[in-house]
Amino acid sequence: MPPIRPSSKRKPPPDGFSDIEEDLLIFSNKMKDAQNAPSDNIPKHQAQWPIFQISHQRSRYIYELYYEKEAISKQLYDWLLKNGYADAALIAKWKKQGYEKLCCLRCIQTKETNFNSTCVCRVPRAQMKGEDREVQCVSCGCRGCASTD
Amino acid sequence: MQPQPALKSTYKAPPLPPGWTEHKAPTGHTYYYNAETKESTYKRPVTAAAPPTAPSANPASSFWQHQAVPQINLSDPNVANAFMSQYGQPQHQPGQQRGGRGPGGRGGSHARPKPQPIDKPRSKVAIPGHEPWILVYTKYGRRFAYNSAKNASYWRIPEKLMPAILELDKARIRQKAEGKALDTLQGSEGPPEKTDGPEEQEKDYDSSEYEEVEVTDDEDGGDGHATKRQRTEDPDQSENNGPVEFTEEDIAAQLAAMGADYGEDYEMGQDYDDYDHGEAAPQLSDDDARELFKDMLSDFNINPYSPWDTLIEQGRIVDDPRYTVLPTTKARKEVWEEWSRITIQELKELRQKQEKKDPRIAYFALLQDKATPKLYWAEFKRKYKREDAMKDIKVADKDREKWYREYISRLKLPQSTLKSDLKKLLESVPLSQLNNRSSASSLPPAVLTDLRYWSLDTKSRDEFVEGYIAGLGPPPDSGAEQGAGEDEATKKAKEERRKRERALQDRERAVQEEKHRQEKKLQFERARLREEERELERAMQVGKKGLQSQLTPQEGERFI
Ligand SMILES: [Zn+2]
Ligand SMILES: [Zn+2]
Repeated sequence: MPPIRPSSKRKPPPDGFSDIEEDLLIFSNKMKDAQNAPSDNIPKHQAQWPIFQISHQRSRYIYELYYEKEAISKQLYDWLLKNGYADAALIAKWKKQGYEKLCCLRCIQTKETNFNSTCVCRVPRAQMKGEDREVQCVSCGCRGCASTD
Repeated sequence: MQPQPALKSTYKAPPLPPGWTEHKAPTGHTYYYNAETKESTYKRPVTAAAPPTAPSANPASSFWQHQAVPQINLSDPNVANAFMSQYGQPQHQPGQQRGGRGPGGRGGSHARPKPQPIDKPRSKVAIPGHEPWILVYTKYGRRFAYNSAKNASYWRIPEKLMPAILELDKARIRQKAEGKALDTLQGSEGPPEKTDGPEEQEKDYDSSEYEEVEVTDDEDGGDGHATKRQRTEDPDQSENNGPVEFTEEDIAAQLAAMGADYGEDYEMGQDYDDYDHGEAAPQLSDDDARELFKDMLSDFNINPYSPWDTLIEQGRIVDDPRYTVLPTTKARKEVWEEWSRITIQELKELRQKQEKKDPRIAYFALLQDKATPKLYWAEFKRKYKREDAMKDIKVADKDREKWYREYISRLKLPQSTLKSDLKKLLESVPLSQLNNRSSASSLPPAVLTDLRYWSLDTKSRDEFVEGYIAGLGPPPDSGAEQGAGEDEATKKAKEERRKRERALQDRERAVQEEKHRQEKKLQFERARLREEERELERAMQVGKKGLQSQLTPQEGERFI
């Protein structure tokens, strides 16, 4: 999740930015709120979840605008990626089969998990039993992001 | 989400008579259609010749197996649908509160209720001491009081009948105990259905009725189960079964009348969200529902670029009646997606049309307003730097300067030159863009983005342009046709919108009526349940004592 560049240090946005400016602002405000939320009573790993989730939603938003609705131009899309409004690496995964709903990049990094395997949220729901279905992953709080879910 | 199978018995439908086929309406109802007669009905047609039951020991038992509801033959399923809803709703999993089986425990799946055969009278017993009154048991284990003299029925059993009915209940409990003992002793009617364990006895006295509801359904009968009631019930009852005191049609009409008041079924704990309401209401076509939802998005001026979650969080649309014309969030999101895609494309096209309007036009207008040979470019730039036209990032400063110089130099030209230059400009624009339908205030970008247009003072320029336009011909044919076609399309779109809004209003009204009825029904059911509980309590209190004194020790042992 690269941080969004401050507007003073970037090129002016291409055409169409004003169409999505307001919604991007909503995401930014949500993000600020999440970052400033007190995390004293929350386990350390959970404190990061809202931030991952908002980041995911914003990337998804931009991804859908460009790839699914053809609502924004290539120039604007590139500009948004470059300026940190969407996570290019995560979007790159979404374009690959089997990763269409991937929650975050951490969840497929095998090294970081205890079991040296991908995150539990990558296991298709259909293969989970009973209480296991309620599991949230440690890295981003994902409840399941297999393509079949 | 997987639809949940309705709670149903093992009953298998008999084959349809020739000519009839089975269909699923979009609402999920099953209906039957006869291609020859063009009839359709919600009620499963039966072969006319087939006797409803095999002859049994008690001829009257077959009487109760008859269809209790007059055959409905409505050729239009929609009409039939409406009819059914006023008739008291297709039967959804009736009588569940009795058996205590709510809709299955699987999380969150709302099963669209399947239509069930209509409840109907199954057996009856005279209420001793209240001669015209009869207690009627329905197929789904409910009962109501029927006054055969007045031909009136009441779900709520009149207070004065209560003691007598209590006696009947007690008698029935005793009968049951004895009947079971008898069965086991005789063993003549086939093998005993169960080895009666202790738990059997602990069940409430209604359990066998419930069982009956479970295993028998609709027109079948004449199998082993149908005779069970006769075994277990008061033998006195048979005399009531003999003479026909009230006909099947009578009782059906009574049931229907009561059903119209209260509905025929009610599931405790069922939440009445829009999904259920949609069931009873006249159905909007799928297309209408989708279009209404889109109308709503447009009417609320929803930003088509916004993400769905934001739309929902803002909550502006969720209270609109059109929000619920689509049954599920999934369906709504789908339609929203389609709408936003289309709306964005339309916006794009519109912008392309207006593309050239800015930024040069605004800058040229500023020049015409403020530029003067007395100001150098640098001075002009400093003086008007706060003007929007000067700040527009789409125009390079270099270009602004170039146009400024060009404009100033043109100001020094004589009027006649400026006019002939403007004439040349106008002549260069094709008739499709500039014609006798154009006006001085809506000139095409080709004119507006040319300095030759801006060099004349406004008054003489507009006069000149108007004179020129008046001398032009009409726009080429293709253009005219397109314009007319658009009008036609707009008219049609408006008409269609009116139509689907009317359909929505009808539906809303029906939903309200249905809601009202459901509320009434709920109140009624609550009251009835309370009453039944009290009644049951009383019956059990007396019943236990009665049983203890009735059972011989030997017979008693069989149950333990
Ligand atoms: Zn995940
Ligand atoms: Zn994750």
